[in-house]
Amino acid sequence: MFNKVLVANRGEIAVRIIRACRELGMSTVAVYSDADRSALHVRQADEAYLLGPAPSRESYLRGDKIIDIAKRSGSGGIHPGYGFLAERDDFAQAVEDAGLVFIGPRPSNIAAMGDKAVARATVAAAGVPVVPGTEGEGNLRDEELLTLGPQIGFPLLIKATAGGGGKGMREVGRLEDMPGLLHAARREAEAAFGDGNVYLEKLLLDARHIEFQILADGHGSVIHLGERECSLQRRHQKLLEEVPSPFVDQDLRERMGELACRAARSVDYFNAGTIEFLVDSEKNFFFLEMNTRLQVEHPVTEMVTGIDIVKEQIRIARGRKLRYSQEDIQLNGWAIECRINAEDPYNNFMPSTGYISSVMMPSGPGVRVDTGVYAGFTITPYYDALISKLICWGETRGEAILRMRRALEEFRILGVKTNIPFHQTVLDSPRFIAGQFDTRFVEERFTMNGDDERREDLELIASVMATLVAHRETQEAAQIVRRGTRDTSNWKWVGRWERMHR
Amino acid sequence: MKYTTTLGDKAHEIDINVEGEVIADGQRLSVDFQSVADQPIYSLIINGKSYEASVFTSEAGIDVLLQGRLFQVTVEEERQKRLRESSSALATQEGEYNLKAPMPGLVISIPVQEGQAVQLGDNLVILESMKMQNELKAPREGTVGRIRVKAGDSVDQNQALLTLA
Repeated sequence: MFNKVLVANRGEIAVRIIRACRELGMSTVAVYSDADRSALHVRQADEAYLLGPAPSRESYLRGDKIIDIAKRSGSGGIHPGYGFLAERDDFAQAVEDAGLVFIGPRPSNIAAMGDKAVARATVAAAGVPVVPGTEGEGNLRDEELLTLGPQIGFPLLIKATAGGGGKGMREVGRLEDMPGLLHAARREAEAAFGDGNVYLEKLLLDARHIEFQILADGHGSVIHLGERECSLQRRHQKLLEEVPSPFVDQDLRERMGELACRAARSVDYFNAGTIEFLVDSEKNFFFLEMNTRLQVEHPVTEMVTGIDIVKEQIRIARGRKLRYSQEDIQLNGWAIECRINAEDPYNNFMPSTGYISSVMMPSGPGVRVDTGVYAGFTITPYYDALISKLICWGETRGEAILRMRRALEEFRILGVKTNIPFHQTVLDSPRFIAGQFDTRFVEERFTMNGDDERREDLELIASVMATLVAHRETQEAAQIVRRGTRDTSNWKWVGRWERMHR
Repeated sequence: MKYTTTLGDKAHEIDINVEGEVIADGQRLSVDFQSVADQPIYSLIINGKSYEASVFTSEAGIDVLLQGRLFQVTVEEERQKRLRESSSALATQEGEYNLKAPMPGLVISIPVQEGQAVQLGDNLVILESMKMQNELKAPREGTVGRIRVKAGDSVDQNQALLTLA
C-alpha cells in the first residue's frame, strides 16, 4: 500500500491534507501553478512540482499532468481535496487505471452521485424523498427547461449539473427572467466546471440546509457522524456552519442519519461523503445532493466527534475497516466554523486581492484555524476567495458563540479585505443567537452596520483614532518636506553641533 | 491643531496639541496612541481603556474597523475646512462617473453600448474574478460614454472600464 500521497489541490485544504499525512507518517507531494510558487502547501510538502500557468484549466485541472507527477514521484495515492478534480469520475478512473489509489470514492460512486440527476433517481428508488425538479431527465435544452419551469413552479433554482458551491446557480422568480438567467448560469458553469449543463429545482421557502457526514469502508460498514447545520449562506455559498444543528433533535437526527446511510448504500458508496438535505419548517426533509468528496466544513464534525476525517479517508483508501460503529459516534459539545473569505462585506462582498502584509491568527482554548495564507503571501484572482477557516468548540452553543466572537476579534488580516466583520455581525444578531435562521437569512433579514448600543459608544473612539491618524500623517508629511534642507541627517548635525560647543 | 471629524451625521471638534492628550468636544482625554508593528493597526489607550483598530486612509476618508464595526470618518483641519467652505460655492461640476475595476479579473461581457441610456442598477460590465462572475452595476442613471475595454480583456485593479455621463 502507498506511503506517499500527492495532494492535487491548493490553499487551506492542501495544507489540511498534508497535516493528516504527516500525522500518519506518510510523505507528501504538492503540485502548484505559477501563481502558487510561494503558497503554504508548497512550503510544507516534502516534494513540490510545477503544474503550469495560473489559470486552473492549465494547472490544477490538468489531471494528466497530475497523474504523471504522481508516477514520477512514486506517490501511490492521490488526494483531490475539494473542488478542482475532486468530483470528476474520469479523473478518479484515470488514477486507478494508472495503478494508483484515489483517496476518495469509487469512480462509479462519483458518476452516480456527481451527476445530480442520476443521484436523485437512485436515492428516490431507495425510498429517500427528493426535492421536485428536472432531476433524472438528462441534459435538457433551454426550450425544454422553459416549458418545465412553470410546471415545477416559481421561485425555482437553475443549478449546474456538474457543480457545487453556488457556481452556475441562479434563482428565478418569473418565467420572463428565465432565458437570461439560463444563459448566465450555463456560461458560469462552463467556466467553472467545463460543463454547461444545468437543471431546475423547486426553491423551498424557509428551508434549512442540513447535511450528514458519511464514512463507508468498503467492507459493508456505513456510518454517519451526525449532521452539520449549513443554512447560513449568501447566494447559496455557505459562510458559517455548526454542529449540532439547533433545529435537529435526537429523533430527527436518527431518522435523517439512517436515510443518509441508506442513500449512500444505494450506490455502494466508499470513503467519506456528505448527504445534503433541505429541511422545511415542519421538519420534512428532502435529499438535495450527495457530495462525493471531503467538505470544506468537515472540521466542525471533527471537533464534536473527535474523529479525524482526513486520516479516516486515507485509512479507508488503504483498505482498512472502520474502527467505529454507529453506537460509538457521540456528539460532544458544540462547534462553529466561520469561512474567512477575501471579500469586502461593506461592498457587496466583492472579492479582494492583494499582498497580505500582516496576519495575526487567533488561538487559545477551543480554537482551530485551517489556513492557506501567511504574512507576505499574495492573494491572486485565479482561485476562490476562501483563505482561512476559523473553528471554535464550546461545551454548549452559548460557549461556542462567545468563543467565536472572542476569536474573530483576535483575527487580524491586513492587505486584503475579509468578511470577518460580517461574521462578527452575524454572531451578534439576536436571530442567529436564538437559532432562528434559514437559507435566506443573510439576503433578506440581515444588514451590516445596523444600529446597536455598542456602536454609539464606539463612535467617539473611532473618531479620535481617525483624527490621530490624520494628525500623524500631516506631521509626517511636514517632516518629509523639511528633510533635505541640510545635506546631512539632523542627528549627525546635532552631534557635530554638540562637539563644536564642548 | 484643531480638526473637525465627521462620522455619519455627527461632527466632533477634536484638538490635538500636546503629546498624550486630545480635547474632544471640549473634553480633555488622556491618550496613548501607537501603531502596532508598523502595520495600519493602532492601539489606543484612552483614559485607561484600551482599544485596537485597523485604520485605512483613502481619498474618500478614513475607515476605522473597530470591534467588528466599520466607521467611515472624514477628518478636516480647521484651515482646510474654511478653505473648502469658501470655494464650494464655485464648484458646480456634475462630473462623469468612471467605472473602475474593483479587482483584477477577466472581462466576460459588456452588456451595454456607447451612447446607451442606462438606469440605476443596470449591468455595465461582467467581470470574472476568483471564479465568480461579478456584475458591475450603474450607480446612477446616465448615458454610457467611452468603453475602454472589450470582452476577453484582462484588467488590473482600478483600471478604467467605461465612463457614464
